[in-house]
Amino acid sequence: MIRPFWTALGTAFGRRRAERQLDAELRFHLEQAVEQNLRQGMSGEEASREALRSFGGLELTKEECRDAWGVRILDALRQDLRFGLRNLARNPGYAVLAAATLALGIGANTAIFSLVYGVLLRPLPFAAGHRLAVLRQQAPLAGVSSMGFSCHEIDDYRRQGQSFERLVEQHSMVFILLGRAEPERVRTSVVSADFFDFLGVKPLAGRVFLSGEDQPGAEAVLVLSHAYWQRSHGGDLSVVGRTFRMNNRPHRVVGILPALPQFPDENDVYMPVSACPFRSNPDFIANRNARMMRVFGRLKPESTLETARAELATIASRLERQYPDSYPAHRGYRLQLARLDEELTLRARPTLLILLGSAGLVLLIACANVANLALARLVRRDREMAIRTALGAGRGRLARQLLTESTLLALAGGALGLLLAHACLPALVTFTSRFTNRIQQIHIDGAVLLFTLAVSIATGLLFGCLPALGPRRDVAVGIREAQGAGTTAPARQRLRAALVVCQVAISFLVLAGAGLLGRSVVKLHQVDPGFNPDRVLTMTISPNWSKINDSQRFRSFFQTALERLNSMPGVAAAAVAFKFPLDQSVRSNRNFQIEGQAATDGGPRPVADFRAVSPGYFQVLQIRLVRGRLFSGQDHERAPAVALVNQTMARRWWDQRDPIGRRVSLNSGRTWLTIVGVVGDVRQYGLEQAPVDELYLPFAQSPAGVNVLVRTASDPLAMARQLREALYQLDAESPISDLRTLEQVRSAALAPPRLTALLFALFAGLTLLITVTGLTGLISLTASQRTNEIGIRMALGASPTAVIRMLVGQALLLVLAGLALGVAAAVALSRLLSRLLFGVEPTDPLTFLGVALGMLALAAVSCAIPARRATAIDPLIALRSG
Amino acid sequence: MGKDKTDLLQGTLDLLILKTLLAAPQHGWGISQRIQQVSRDVLSVNQGSLYPALHRLERQGWMASEWGNSENNRQAKFYRLTPAGRRRLAEETENWERVSLAINRILQTV
Repeated sequence: MIRPFWTALGTAFGRRRAERQLDAELRFHLEQAVEQNLRQGMSGEEASREALRSFGGLELTKEECRDAWGVRILDALRQDLRFGLRNLARNPGYAVLAAATLALGIGANTAIFSLVYGVLLRPLPFAAGHRLAVLRQQAPLAGVSSMGFSCHEIDDYRRQGQSFERLVEQHSMVFILLGRAEPERVRTSVVSADFFDFLGVKPLAGRVFLSGEDQPGAEAVLVLSHAYWQRSHGGDLSVVGRTFRMNNRPHRVVGILPALPQFPDENDVYMPVSACPFRSNPDFIANRNARMMRVFGRLKPESTLETARAELATIASRLERQYPDSYPAHRGYRLQLARLDEELTLRARPTLLILLGSAGLVLLIACANVANLALARLVRRDREMAIRTALGAGRGRLARQLLTESTLLALAGGALGLLLAHACLPALVTFTSRFTNRIQQIHIDGAVLLFTLAVSIATGLLFGCLPALGPRRDVAVGIREAQGAGTTAPARQRLRAALVVCQVAISFLVLAGAGLLGRSVVKLHQVDPGFNPDRVLTMTISPNWSKINDSQRFRSFFQTALERLNSMPGVAAAAVAFKFPLDQSVRSNRNFQIEGQAATDGGPRPVADFRAVSPGYFQVLQIRLVRGRLFSGQDHERAPAVALVNQTMARRWWDQRDPIGRRVSLNSGRTWLTIVGVVGDVRQYGLEQAPVDELYLPFAQSPAGVNVLVRTASDPLAMARQLREALYQLDAESPISDLRTLEQVRSAALAPPRLTALLFALFAGLTLLITVTGLTGLISLTASQRTNEIGIRMALGASPTAVIRMLVGQALLLVLAGLALGVAAAVALSRLLSRLLFGVEPTDPLTFLGVALGMLALAAVSCAIPARRATAIDPLIALRSG
Repeated sequence: MGKDKTDLLQGTLDLLILKTLLAAPQHGWGISQRIQQVSRDVLSVNQGSLYPALHRLERQGWMASEWGNSENNRQAKFYRLTPAGRRRLAEETENWERVSLAINRILQTV
C-alpha cells in the first residue's frame, strides 16, 4: 500500500531516469564485450554468455551502483518515519503532551496570522487596490488633520494633477427616505459618477452610475448597498426601478452593490453628487472655502506615491499663492497623500503586530518546552542511540531520526492548532472589527494554511535540532552511562537549563506586557471622564430638513422636543447638543480671537472645539460648574451672545486671571461672545486623550445639534420606547437613530484596550502554563536522575526539608536568571508596547516586580511538589536503584 | 580468463581509474580495456566492481560524466576527471608509491 507512494516519490526525485541511464551504461558495456568476443572468434551465443559471466552478476552490480548514488535517502526516510511513529506510539504520554503544547503555540499563531493576513496583508478587494490613495488637506498649525476639499479645489487638482488616472470625491450624509412604511434614516454616500469604476466594483443587479449622472440637472438615482438591501428590502430584486422620495424629490433605484466591504465607510445608499441638495447648491460650489468632500485617487501605473506627492505639493503651493485668503499662512496648509490600504488599517496595525509578536513568543516557549521534553526522553534513549551508533548508524542518521520524530509531532500539533484557530476565529474577528472595517476578508484560506504548514515544519526542525545538537559521545561511554543512569552528560544538562532560562525570560516578557496592558485598562476605568454616564440616553434625530429648513424652525423643533421630553414622568433632565462625549466623531474646532489680544501675524491662532448645547446639557451629564454661571433660558437668540469655557481653556488663555467677562470672537471680531462661566473638563475624544480647549455656545444662539440626551430617573433603556414615540408624535418624518445609553458608549470606548489586554492575558496564561510544566518537568527529571545521590544524602542524615530546599533552590536560580534576562528584554522592547499603554510607563517597576515575584512564588510551589516526591523515597531503595 | 591475470588490490582500482582518465575522458568499457592493455594484460578489472567504483567516484566529485558517442557511434556514458579528481590522483599516487616502496623494502630484506 505504501510502496506505490514511495515509487512515485522516487520518480519525482529522478530515480527512474537514473535507473534508465544505469541500464544504458551497462548495456553498452555488455555490447562492447560481446563484440570483442565475436571478434576473438566465439559463436554468438557463446559471446554473450561469456560477456555476462565476466561481469559477475548484473543485478548485484546494479545494486552496488545504487548504493553508491545514495538514493537510499528515501528508503531511510521511510524507515525513520516508521520508526518514529512506532516510537511515538510507545510513548503516547510524551506524544500527546508535546503535540498539545505545540498545538497551543501554532494555533495562537495561525489565528493571529489569519487576522494579520486578512487585515494588513491581503490586497484590497478593489481593482488594483495598491494604486488607490487618499488625499488629505491639512492645516497643522490650526490642529486640523483633515478638513476636506471644496468643489474648486477638486477641480484644480483634477485638472492640474498628472499622476492620477482619476480623482473621485465622496462625502457622507444622512438623509430621510420616504415611501416605505416608516420614514427611514439612510446613511448616504454622495459620490462622483465614476466612483464605482474607480474602485472596480461591478453591480450585483441593475447598474452603477453612468458618466454624466453627477452633472447638474441629471435625474436623481440611487445604488443600494448589499447590507441595506438585505436588511431593509429583504433582498428583493424588484426594488431596482422603484422610486423613493428623498430631499423633496423622487429618487430612482438603479442598482444594488455586491457584498463587498464598503469604502470609505459603511453606507446604506449611494447617490451622485448632483442629487445632494447641499453639494449641488450653487453658493456651495462657488465657495472655495466650503470644504466637505473627501478625495481619493487612482495612481497611474507608471507613477509612484512619491512623484504624486511631489506633484500635489507643487499644485498646493500654487493654489496658496493664487488664493491667499483661502489658505491663510497662520493655519499652515499642507496636502497629504497615503495609500488607501494602509489608511484603512492604521488603527489595527500596532495591536495586531504586537499580538502576532506575542503569539510568536508563545510558540517559542512551546518549542523550548517540547525540546526539553525531547531532551529528557533522550536521556532515557541514550542506550538505544549508543547501540545504534555501535551498529554503524552515522551521527547524521541519528540526528535525522530525531528530526523526523519532531517534525511528525509538530505536524500533528499544527493540525490540532488549526482546529483551535478555527474555533477561536469568530471571537477574534469580532475583536478586530473594533479597529478596522476590513474584517470580511479574514478567513483561514490557502495562505493561512501555508503559513501554518511552514510554521509547523519550522517548529519541528527547531525543537528537533536542539536535542540533536547534543555532544558527540563515545559509544562505550554511552552504553555504560545509559546502563548506570547515574549522571547525564553535563552539556545536555546545561542545554536544558538554558532552555528553561529562556522560557522564564519569554514568559516574563509576555506576562509583563499583559500586566502593563491590564494596569492601563484599570487606569482607563479610573479616569474621571468629567461627566456622569449613568442613566443617560442619547439618540440622534435627523429633522426632515425639507420642512424644517431654516434655523428658526430648527430651533423651535428642538425646543418643542425638549419641552415634551421634560414634561414626561421619569425624565430627570433633557438636552440637545451638537455632540456628546466619546461619540467618536471628528473634531469640530475653530479659530477664535480673544478681545484685547492682537492676533500675532503669521503665528498660529488660538483653536478651540466648539459645542452648541441647550441649558440642560450640564444637568443631564452632571458636568461640574467651576465658577460663574451656566446657560439658562435667558440666553435666547435675541439676548447678548454668551459662552462657557472648560477649565483647560481657562487655564491656557487666562491662567491666574478670571476669564469671566472676557470676550472672544469666532468670526474675526465681527461679533463677540462674553464668557459667563467655567465648567469642568470632559474627555470628549476618548478616555485616554487629554481634554482639549472647549467653548460651549447656547443652542438657542447657535442652533446646531442633532443629538438629544435624556437623564432618566430609572433604567434608561426601559424608557427608550416611550421617548421615541413621544418624538415621533412631534414629527413622523424626522427619524430617530443610534439610541444608546452613555454607559454603552463608554464601555464601547473602553472595549478595544480591554479586549487587547484580555487576549494578551490569555497568551500570558499560556506561556506561564507551558513554562511551569517545563520547570517541574526539569526538576522531576533531575530528582529521578539524582535518586542515588539523594539517597546517600538522606542516609547521611540530610533532612527531607534540606533536600527539598536544595532542589528547589537550584530551580529558583534558573528562574532568577530567566527573570533577569526577561527584564532586560522587556526594557529593550518597551518602545513597542508604549503605543498601547495608558497612564503606565512601559518599564513600570511595580508591574515588573509584581510579575517577577509572582513567577518566583509559582515556580517555588510547583517545584516543591516533585522535590517532595523525590525525598519521600526510602533511602535504602534509593541507594539500590543506583 | 587466464590464470596469469592478477586481481586488483583493494583500493587500487580508484587509483587506476583516475589515472586512466587523466589522459582523456573515457567510458567504462574503455577504462577497463585501457587498464588491461597498459598493464599488458597483467591486471584484469573485475567489471562487477568497476561500475560501483565509477558511480562512487562520481558522487564524491572526483569525476563528472556526460553522454556522448563512442568510437563505433553508440551512446555511451563518458567520465572525465574534475580538478578535485586531479588532486585526489596526486595524493593517491604518492600514497601508492610510499606503500609499494615499503613493500619492496620488506621483500628485499627478508
